[in-house]
This record gives sequence, structure tokens and C-alpha cells, in this order.
Amino acid sequence: MVKHITDITFNEEIKGDVPVIVDFWAPWCGPCKMIGPVLEEVAAELEGKVKVTKLNVDENGVTSEKYRVFSIPTILLFKNGNLVDQIVGFKPKDAIISWIKNHI
Amino acid sequence: MDGRFDIAIIGSGPAGITAAINAKIRNKKVIIFGHENLSNKLYLAPKINNYVGFYGISGKDLTEKFKSHLYDMDIEITYERVNNVYAMGDYYALMINDKIVEAKSIVLATGINFSNPLKGEREFLGKGVGYCATCDAPLYEGKVVTIIGFNEESVEEANYVSEIAATVYFIPMFKGDYKLNDKIKLIKDKPVEIVGENLVKKLILKNTELVTDGVFFLRDNIAPDQLIPGIEIEDKHIKVNRSMETNLPGCYAAGDITGKPYQYLKAMGEGQVAALSAVSYLDNMKK
Repeated sequence: MVKHITDITFNEEIKGDVPVIVDFWAPWCGPCKMIGPVLEEVAAELEGKVKVTKLNVDENGVTSEKYRVFSIPTILLFKNGNLVDQIVGFKPKDAIISWIKNHI
Repeated sequence: MDGRFDIAIIGSGPAGITAAINAKIRNKKVIIFGHENLSNKLYLAPKINNYVGFYGISGKDLTEKFKSHLYDMDIEITYERVNNVYAMGDYYALMINDKIVEAKSIVLATGINFSNPLKGEREFLGKGVGYCATCDAPLYEGKVVTIIGFNEESVEEANYVSEIAATVYFIPMFKGDYKLNDKIKLIKDKPVEIVGENLVKKLILKNTELVTDGVFFLRDNIAPDQLIPGIEIEDKHIKVNRSMETNLPGCYAAGDITGKPYQYLKAMGEGQVAALSAVSYLDNMKK
């Protein structure tokens, strides 16, 4: 399952030993709409190994500004609360999975 | 254009139309995206001497023959620009402006008419560099945006962005009368390099430098890995095997985009193989 997070819950959500990915998206963004269901599948396939979250950039400007997200979708990967890697733009499921596996 | 197509072919040059003809013969539901001239490279060729059966034919005459062949087989070309193709798992989503077309398989036959990236372009992708100004415009509210436009549509995008960004520079890479609104600053100069640290800071041009937060490239033809994210490239071409399979299941490539020699007959042969491979992929899917 993909969890919606916000500026307020962000710091709490990215903590922990399990890697966390955050999908920065907006409702007006075409590729974001397409990557949404792909991330649902990724979350199901890697359940327990990675936490999949998404953050609406329109409603959560503080976090998007902090991580300087200038193109969406952008996916950030956190480990123990630290940003370790990112991808920008749509990617197929297999590519996202192997990207995450590099960090598990 | 409703329902999911069996095969979507992108490009109407020799590879694309041969793929369409063969897919149609196999009774597949096909959509082919392309141009009125089919392929400008072919259309503008003064004389072709190695096209079997038509020694010395002009590109224009050969194009007419191709068109009547397509007409006889009821193959219609869709004159729309495919912005992106996304691999969704068991199907592909083709983004056409605000429309989405779905297809179970893809044949990429776009040719190689795309320019090399500008210095710094790849490094700063997503860190100030983008390819869809209207998509990312809201993220540049109150900021400085530079648009490098290669076509008329890029003028419209610049006008749209100027309603959101604080400053918009427009650098035209084509000739025309640019109907830009008053807020946009027109810069006629040649881009050389994008520089910055973690984010874009400046665009260096031949005669000047622009301090900017974002740089958008709005080209006619985008590189294959921008068109279809996740596709494997080898030496600037799409990597294929003898069945014209790419690394993405159900996605095939044919013609100049797969590599040299850039020849019509080679492109057609590949287009045929790509279509037949797509057909057997579709048949296996049903099982």
C-alpha cells in the first residue's frame, strides 16, 4: 500500500531501518498519474522491504522546497531519515524495483 | 481512438509503414503515428539507386507509392505527436498532449533525427532541467525560467509559463515570428552549457550568460530514452536483438533508431521483423 504523507508527518515517516521512498506528485501531472499504479505494484511486491509513500507537492510546499524538487514525479529514497538516492520522471516497474533493491 | 490497440507504431518512415502493413496483414488492431510526408528524409531524397525494382526513383515519387499502398490497405496515419510512452506492465500508455492511448505492444520507428544533449543537460535533469514546461511550471512560481524552443508550440508553452514564473527567457532555435507576450524576454543566441552546483544556476550562451532556476528544452524529436523511460540505449541507438526486441517486453524497434546502416531497405526489413515479433508476443499473451 502507498501511504500519503504531508509536511507535518514527513520527518516521522522517513525514520526507521526500512528504506522509505517518497513519490513527489501533483494531480495536474500526467506522468505522476501513470507512475501511481506502478508504485502500488512495487509496494505490493516489496512489502516489508521498503515503505512506499507519496507527497502532494501542491499541498506540501515546505518539503518539496527543502528537497528542491523541480520536476515531478521525483522519487526520493531515504534510509534512517537520510536522503540516499533519487530518480526523476517515470520509470517502468522493473527499473524501480532494481533501483530499490540496490539500497536494501 | 478508443479501446486498447494491439500495436502502436511510432514513426511513418520506411520501418514504421512496413511494420504497419505486416501487422495489418496479421489482422492486428494497429495505430501508426507519423507525418503527412511519411518521412522527410525520404521525401527530400533527390534520387535513390539501391531501392530494388525502382532504379533512380525520387524520394517524392517513392513516397507517393508508399502512400497509395497504405491507402489500398486502409492504413491511416495519425498525425499526432507522441510525447512519452510509459511501460505500465502488461500494456503501454502513450501520452499525446492531454490524451492517453493504450497499446499492448509498441514498435519504435522514429528515425534518428534528434539532437545531442547540451553540455550539462543530462546532469541537471530534474534539478532545473526539464522537457515539459507546462508540466513543471507550477514548481517555478516566482522563479526565473529559460525556455529553449525548437518549434511553434514552444512559444505557447513559454506564454503559459510566463503567467506563473517571475521571469521567462525564450531562446528560439527556429525561424519564425515569435508571438510571445510582453513579459517574456527574447534572447537570440546559441546555448553552450548549463552550469550549477546541485541545481541549475546559469545558462551560458555564446555571447551572454543568463542566471536562471530552470531550463526547458522543447524539441520536436526527443532522445529515445526520454520518449520511453527505461529503454536500453547502446551507442546512441536503441539496443535490439535479431527479433528487434528491446529490453522492455512487448516493445520493438526498427529502422535508423536501431543503428547503422541508415538505409531504407534495412529499415523495412527491420520493420517487418518487428511487426512479426509483436504479433507472436500478442499471440503468446492470449495463452
